[in-house]
Amino acid sequence: MRVTRRRLLAGAPLAASAPFAVMALSDAHAADTHTMDGVLMSGEDMAGMHAAMIGDAVPAPDGPDRILQPPPAYEPGPVRSYELVATEKEIEVAKGVFYPAWAYGLAGEEATVPGPTIRVTEGQRMRVRLLNASTHPHTIHFHGIHPANMDGVFEPVAPGDTFTYEFPAAPAGLHLYHCHVTPLKKHIAKGLYGALIVDPKTPRPPAQELVMVMNGFDTNGDAANEFYTVNGRAFYYARHPIRVSRSRTVRIYLANLTEFDLINSFHLHGEFFRYYPTGTGDAFEYTDTVMLCQGQRGIVEIDFHNTGHFMFHAHVSEFTELGWMGFFEVGD
Amino acid sequence: MGADSPAAPRDGALRWRLWAFVPAILLIGAVSATIAAGDSLDGLVGTAPPPADEFSVRRVEFAPGRISIHVTNPQREELTLAQVTVDDAIVPFSVGGVEGGRTLGRLESATVDVPFQWVEDDPYAIGLISSSGAVTTHDVPAAVETAQPSLHGAAGLAVIGALVGIVPVALGLAWLPSLRRAAPRSLSAFMALTAGLLTFLMVEALAEALELQAALPSALNGTGLVVLGVAASYLGLTLVASRLSGGGDGAEPLGGLGLATLVAIGIGVHNLGEGLAIGSSLALGELALGTFLIVGFMIHNLTEGLGIAAPVAEGAARAGVARLGVLALVAGAPAILGAWIGGFLVSDLLAVLFFAVAAGAALQVVVEVGRYVARRAPGGLTSAPVVGGYLAGIAAMYATGLLTA
Repeated sequence: MRVTRRRLLAGAPLAASAPFAVMALSDAHAADTHTMDGVLMSGEDMAGMHAAMIGDAVPAPDGPDRILQPPPAYEPGPVRSYELVATEKEIEVAKGVFYPAWAYGLAGEEATVPGPTIRVTEGQRMRVRLLNASTHPHTIHFHGIHPANMDGVFEPVAPGDTFTYEFPAAPAGLHLYHCHVTPLKKHIAKGLYGALIVDPKTPRPPAQELVMVMNGFDTNGDAANEFYTVNGRAFYYARHPIRVSRSRTVRIYLANLTEFDLINSFHLHGEFFRYYPTGTGDAFEYTDTVMLCQGQRGIVEIDFHNTGHFMFHAHVSEFTELGWMGFFEVGD
Repeated sequence: MGADSPAAPRDGALRWRLWAFVPAILLIGAVSATIAAGDSLDGLVGTAPPPADEFSVRRVEFAPGRISIHVTNPQREELTLAQVTVDDAIVPFSVGGVEGGRTLGRLESATVDVPFQWVEDDPYAIGLISSSGAVTTHDVPAAVETAQPSLHGAAGLAVIGALVGIVPVALGLAWLPSLRRAAPRSLSAFMALTAGLLTFLMVEALAEALELQAALPSALNGTGLVVLGVAASYLGLTLVASRLSGGGDGAEPLGGLGLATLVAIGIGVHNLGEGLAIGSSLALGELALGTFLIVGFMIHNLTEGLGIAAPVAEGAARAGVARLGVLALVAGAPAILGAWIGGFLVSDLLAVLFFAVAAGAALQVVVEVGRYVARRAPGGLTSAPVVGGYLAGIAAMYATGLLTA
């Protein structure tokens, strides 16, 4: 069945109520034509161009857009609960390339790599129940401030078992969660990780909010990544530019969970942005490129001056050409 | 078995002839049973490992703005090409004019076209990524535009083929007048020299065939192909030899022009392989064919002409210039044909076959020349001139071969 992006929007109240719409340029583009700003290009024209339009035009319902949309902030109540299921799942990491991943998913929903974003308010108790539905022991190790017995290091959850992590969320900022069972490299590289947003008690200014988790996939087991992505699919946002408006701030929760490579980076074309390291303070750098080591993260705030297509990608050129590249389609 | 063997009852003979079908029928039954058992048989020895999902890259061609990769699926299972990289960058590609990935059946081949602005003389790493994420890497040491079939290119390859094939053989044949006046002892030494150089060519061709087959997909069973090529050409040439010697039971070994023709065929088959190797290396930019290398091949192959001249000098019949010209063409012209095939076709399988055939042919001619020398030479095979000539033949090929290394 062909799931169009519009249908996805219609079926997801959360996404529909978001202050912006994430849409492909057009769902009508056939897989064998390449367009850029409406100009058709043949394969020969593509020589020397970015391989931006590689891949089919049909967005997957469990694809990167699920990660792109953060859950709503400030859910009322003393406790915010999540139920995560760790499973084994084959995922498409680039057009036609399938990877046997280990993935977290919300109970009753498809598991994804990166896993679902967990969002709580500072001081609110976060309660995360992990069901291990895979054949290997797993945990969830959250970054942040919490008791030692909630750290996901000493309590491996055996296949079929559950464990509930519960503690008050702190500090405000952008954090991570990932499996911490050894061999650690394997458990992370396979896909057991996600973003953890802890909103400050005083809300940040309103913005068009996005989550971008940078990662890589080692598909041939050589301890090096064959593909680099943001939110799990190579070149996804090149085929499906992220639609934003220049009249509102764009806020990106940006985390680096790339395994094997020491650093990754985020570079924006034609614009500068404010970068708040770890999102824990008010100090920012006004720049167009940030570098993040493994596990490093921060909040990016963009006020676009111009409309049109603006590329974003890792400034590690190799990663760019292996999938970590996309476009903002900025409208008024 | 004579015609007068006791006649068995005919119905009995028929019965035993029909019996020949029984093993075949039983085999079909056993195969069916095994296939039916299928997975449970695998279970006896654990689960089968996943397929390697590696492609066999047969040839990479460079054209302006385009790289073409000839690939084969070497494994039993289907293999899907999902992504292509050039120097660790994902690139758009098409297979047979259709953009994007393609599934290849067992031993199915395809040409992958990548629009790409490559840089002359730069090295490139081509990556073929399967649907399971396995990566086949093929390194190109230096990108050079691949010669496309053209009159000009064909003429160029023909000139090179003629220079390394026909010219040296013809020059070697020019020793004929001197050889005619040589003493029988020295003549048998020259005959032994012919056997020596053919022995060298045989081992060289066999080594080449085995080396080339190692690069073939294992499913093509390159070793078997080599054995088949050697045996077929040996036996084929034996047939030719018996025709040339008058079709008898080989009571009288072939000599004179007949033997010279055989030697020329043996050398010609070898030059076919040599031309193919040169043509393919030139086309793919793996070989810089300087004048030094051409001169090397000329000197190397000059000895081949001498090898043909020796049996002619031995023979009673006089050979005219036309006849000698034909011999030179038989021995040398295949180099041109080989250069064309190597230059314009995907030829790894053919190259293996050609070199195997060359090895078998050379072996047959060595045997033929050996029989002749054993019969004619004063002192037979173990006489000093024969042993010395044989070793000199190998040494000459080795020494001149250094010029082409």
